Amino acid sequence: MNVLAWCVVAWLFGVGIYGIVTSRHYVHMIGCLTVCQSATYVLLLGIGYRWGAGPPIFYDHPPGTPAVDPVMQALVLTDIVVSAAMTALLLAIALQVHKRRGTLDPQHLRPLRPSE
Amino acid sequence: MTQFWRLALLIPALVVLAIAAGHVILTLPAFGDPLSQYGATVDALAPILRNVSNMVSAVNFDIRSIDTLGEESMLICAVTATVVLLRGRRGEEIVERAGHLPGREWLERSDATVLVCRLIATALFLFGLSVILHGTVTPGGGFQGGAIAASGFILIYLGEGYSTWRRMLHSEVLVAVEGFGGLAFALAAAIPLAFGYAAMQNVLPLGTWKDLYSGGLMAIVNLVIGAAVIGSFGMLLLEFMEETRAPKAGDIEDEAAT
Amino acid sequence: MPLAHQLAPLAVLAPLGIAFLMLALSHWLPPRSADITAVIVSLALVALCGWLAAQSLHGPIVHWFGAWTPEISGKPGVVLGIAFSVDPASAMVAAFCALLFAATFVFAWGYFDHIHAHFHVLMLLFLAAMIGFCLTRDLFNLFVWFELMGIAAFALTAYPLGKSSLEGAFNFTITNALGSFLMLAGVGLLYARTGTLDFVTMGRVIASVPPDPVIAGGFCLIAAALLTKAAIVPFHMWLSDAHAVAPSPVSVIFSGVMVSLGLFGLLKLIAIVFAGNAQVMMLVHVGLFWLGFATALIGGLMAWAQRHLKRLLAFSTIAHLGIMLIAVASVSAIGTEGFLVYLVGHGLVKGTLFMIAGIFLARFDSVDELELYGEGRRIWPVGIAMGTAGLLLGGLPWGLLHDATDAMHEGDSGTAALAAIIVGTALTGAAVLRAAGRVFLGCSGVPAVELTAPTEREREKGNRPLWLMLLPCMVLLAIALLPADLVESFLHHAATGLVPGKFPPPKSGMLLAAITFALTILIPAASLLRRRPTRWIARRIARFEAAPFKAMQILHSGRVTDYVVWMMVGLAVLAGWLKFG
Repeated sequence: MNVLAWCVVAWLFGVGIYGIVTSRHYVHMIGCLTVCQSATYVLLLGIGYRWGAGPPIFYDHPPGTPAVDPVMQALVLTDIVVSAAMTALLLAIALQVHKRRGTLDPQHLRPLRPSE
Repeated sequence: MTQFWRLALLIPALVVLAIAAGHVILTLPAFGDPLSQYGATVDALAPILRNVSNMVSAVNFDIRSIDTLGEESMLICAVTATVVLLRGRRGEEIVERAGHLPGREWLERSDATVLVCRLIATALFLFGLSVILHGTVTPGGGFQGGAIAASGFILIYLGEGYSTWRRMLHSEVLVAVEGFGGLAFALAAAIPLAFGYAAMQNVLPLGTWKDLYSGGLMAIVNLVIGAAVIGSFGMLLLEFMEETRAPKAGDIEDEAAT
Repeated sequence: MPLAHQLAPLAVLAPLGIAFLMLALSHWLPPRSADITAVIVSLALVALCGWLAAQSLHGPIVHWFGAWTPEISGKPGVVLGIAFSVDPASAMVAAFCALLFAATFVFAWGYFDHIHAHFHVLMLLFLAAMIGFCLTRDLFNLFVWFELMGIAAFALTAYPLGKSSLEGAFNFTITNALGSFLMLAGVGLLYARTGTLDFVTMGRVIASVPPDPVIAGGFCLIAAALLTKAAIVPFHMWLSDAHAVAPSPVSVIFSGVMVSLGLFGLLKLIAIVFAGNAQVMMLVHVGLFWLGFATALIGGLMAWAQRHLKRLLAFSTIAHLGIMLIAVASVSAIGTEGFLVYLVGHGLVKGTLFMIAGIFLARFDSVDELELYGEGRRIWPVGIAMGTAGLLLGGLPWGLLHDATDAMHEGDSGTAALAAIIVGTALTGAAVLRAAGRVFLGCSGVPAVELTAPTEREREKGNRPLWLMLLPCMVLLAIALLPADLVESFLHHAATGLVPGKFPPPKSGMLLAAITFALTILIPAASLLRRRPTRWIARRIARFEAAPFKAMQILHSGRVTDYVVWMMVGLAVLAGWLKFG
């Protein structure tokens, strides 16, 4: 149980990288990139976790009840919103590439080689 | 490189990384028993010093607020980039008709869809607004509430159809909301500087514990971020949906920059 | 609060605020106001950062955001807030960033005018991120500015919306986004072990504990991210695509300062956070040295084998970054001083060259040196600029780059370092001089390896007068020709502020400079006098010479999947070195 969270992190990252490397479609690659990103989120949240502690919100519980690390949660929270926007940026690039090339296969899309 | 060579290089690299990761995993502080005192200190001090009950918001909007300013800039930057990339030379004028692929059936929107979308979009906006406003008290805040409220835009598109939706959403308004939200955050950081305090120092009265207004400057920053996030996601959705409109005669399919 | 402490955060808050204001008013701004505002803001930031650099000579200026100073926590190792720590070196680099931006805004005047100031918004956010990256003292804050730099860069690369720009931007985004994730993971690991995110506190904790796989793993991940940004072999492949397809004003910033910032960040982390960890420092001295060595050689060879001028310059940037990494890896005061001067000198010269490439695109619709053969005679002042820049890159014994190289030779005088610096410098200078010779002097030998290099026709807007485009080039070149001795004592303070140490008495590096310069002149001369190989032995030699270049061209395939594989190989090399070395 102690190492499960960290093994999940390593697995997610490895699977995401494998997906990117063997990808045949830009949108699939963007999805794999998101998987890699989720690995870092699990790592950060796992680092902040504390057994038997609740969320760091003291509305219903008085301040002083054991709570997990709010710093890690704050870091991950803002990052999630930004990653949504970055995925949108990547998808916009993919959309425009598709309009010009008709394909989204990374094997055939190489900059500065007009013959391809 | 062919697929074979790519995997021939990748698999050994991943094996080495797995061994190194295993070494790190075995020496990390035990899961559930962190070494760090940072979080515990925040949990202990923030309710007293800042009168707020949401520690995550305290970290985001006060203790580490310059980080949040950076993240907000990232969001605005990414959305501006997406807008520029999608808009291309398409232009921004409002075209009244949605695009229609030849051969596809055009279904009438059912009354149930329109009604449900109207009800739920309104509920989403109100809920998002509530999450934003109570950011310093209960789980939530500008980022989360803004994303919820912005998803109401999609429901309006579903329920009302392209033309009405496009007439409701004006890119000038959304961009202005986005930009002024970011500017307000930067000003909230700079104005205390002008009076001799540290940047983004919480100089406003701290409000009441567990009340809507608590946390002083934190509550204001929370609000402006909510506005900026609504504007950003609205612009994003607008530009993506614009891809579905009927192409105008003057649209140029852009190639190289001219 | 002293004035310097009060004004330090403004260096980041001002460009952010003005960018947001321009975005909000983007539909109603008068036509040239965005250009004018951007130039004024950049010049103001040059002045502010320069003043902060002077003010910080007696001690770093530390500004705690929100007044969350370390004492508030009441516990010794717990730092609650984020600080900006302005020391002379960081402020100098920030001022240089702003200077290059100002020159770019003048160069790009009227270039992007049909889209509501969006270019200027993105560029100002980019500038704010760079200054924040230089000035911050918090690891996650560093990551935030690093990512903002990345996102602005991705957007600006894809801006022209041509096929190559979009694909180059996609490759750029995927590789650098992966780098960001690695950095975030590294930050998490370091936080888990040290319980703090502040550089100075973290450095103290790391110096007081024995070497630990978690700390080593954190360094490995963060270094991989910064080395990706700094385009060090094998993380370097995205750069040749991105810089070749981005609009020229943007490439000026990319090659001029963005990639060097990756190495500057790495230097700061090594000096402040990891100085007390023997395992990491061993990797730095040995591992990073050899990576820099490989980068200088591969960058130089690939630059020689290009015909697309922007791709050539991109590879030459990679070579120079390898040279800078050798200086960083020496972790000495004199090496750091050399690195700082090289950063500025290289940025100025490379910026000039990319502006010249932009002039070619505006006038001739091409940056292919074989297509542009002889065309340059009509714009001969540009030829003078290009020749001077090429000579400076190749080791002309005058100016900032020469003084920096001298300092680097003193910092690390091993044979391998000397060889890498000489070969890298000579090959890149030679490549630029060969291109200049072809375009402006109309002399050309038979093209050899560059004939099969990737290239493409492209266009950029040509509505600015030549003198307006040439003016920032001349200004940057003039600064690059200044000797570094003018600010000798400032540089000593800046270097020792980061890496404490003594300075050896200055030696004359004339012999090494002469060797480098001679190679820089001889290699392009030999190439421009080449004749078609007709005899059997000459053909054999030509094929033998072309083989390694062809192999390297194939490896730099343009496919993002290959780039990611090489990144993982590089990460495995770093991790393996730390674990088994």
